[in-house]
Amino acid sequence: MATIAKAGPNTRLWNAEADEHDTISTRTFGFWLYMLSDALIFTSIFASYAVLSTPMNLAGGPGPAQVTNAVEGFWQTLIILGSVFAYSQATVALKNGSKAGVAAGILVAMALGVAFVSMGWHDLAALTAQGNGYSRSAYLSIFFTLIATHGLHMGIGILWMLIMLVQIARFGFTADVVARLLNLRMFWQFQATIWVLVYVYVYLLGGAA
Amino acid sequence: MSAHHSDPLDNPEVQQGTTLRFAVAFLASVLFMGAALLVSQHKLPFLEFAEIVVGLTFLTLAAQATLFFGLDISRAQIWKSVSLILTVPLFIISVGLTVWAFSSLYSRTMLPANEVPSMSMPMGSNATMSMPAQQTLLQ
Repeated sequence: MATIAKAGPNTRLWNAEADEHDTISTRTFGFWLYMLSDALIFTSIFASYAVLSTPMNLAGGPGPAQVTNAVEGFWQTLIILGSVFAYSQATVALKNGSKAGVAAGILVAMALGVAFVSMGWHDLAALTAQGNGYSRSAYLSIFFTLIATHGLHMGIGILWMLIMLVQIARFGFTADVVARLLNLRMFWQFQATIWVLVYVYVYLLGGAA
Repeated sequence: MSAHHSDPLDNPEVQQGTTLRFAVAFLASVLFMGAALLVSQHKLPFLEFAEIVVGLTFLTLAAQATLFFGLDISRAQIWKSVSLILTVPLFIISVGLTVWAFSSLYSRTMLPANEVPSMSMPMGSNATMSMPAQQTLLQ
């Protein structure tokens, strides 16, 4: 029968060097946890949308079937997925240490991101011009909030890409820059994932209900 | 994961992405969402339509998680996978419980839309709920 020795002052309870994480992985995991908490902001907006998209909350104004267009939403889906693909290609170029490849991928991702945000902005502006703005009904309030919150995230991503272009040119692929590029890849992919949920929940299911 | 590489480009997360993997993620996402759009153009019963669309959405999200995000059970990614798996139920519970709570609340406390005068306001009107309607709701 094995005996168990009691822990004393010289007992080694763990080996601090055995499972050391590198700085880049620690940073990307931290950012991943931040994104999961960010997803819960969208959770609360989705929950509010579910509550406020009933006929009770239309106040005589338009509902989901009137303010959304599934085909137009699909074009936005294509654009955001294309943008994510372009940024992902930038990180493939990063693997090869190609500054030009990374910059090209980011520029294409930015252009498609701007196109996506412009389409969303145009939709909200058109609704407002028709007298169906943010304050028209509880439903429109949450619809504007959902689209604008996602658009704000997209805007932050585009700004971040611009900053990364400067940092790549100035510092090259240092550990800090690489960690930020990886975090930005997750952030940008996350926007496409959220948009898929918005498209299905608001444009497809909402439009059909 | 070794902590002894000095070149940041050797990091497993930098090395994991390939053009093929990202292209498959893009095509799968477009294909599944395109299929959902096509289904929406047919006049199916809502429940049947919702089941199909939710299934296609699940496939899209799975493709994105595994191919775009590169989540798996490798040493480099397992804690991201675990944290996501633990977060998804929170997402579902939050939305699901809210919908459930308000659906029963509405049916017990709110008048049908066609019985509330302010529900039939003309489009573009900025008027708030009329006084008789407020009194009706308070009774």
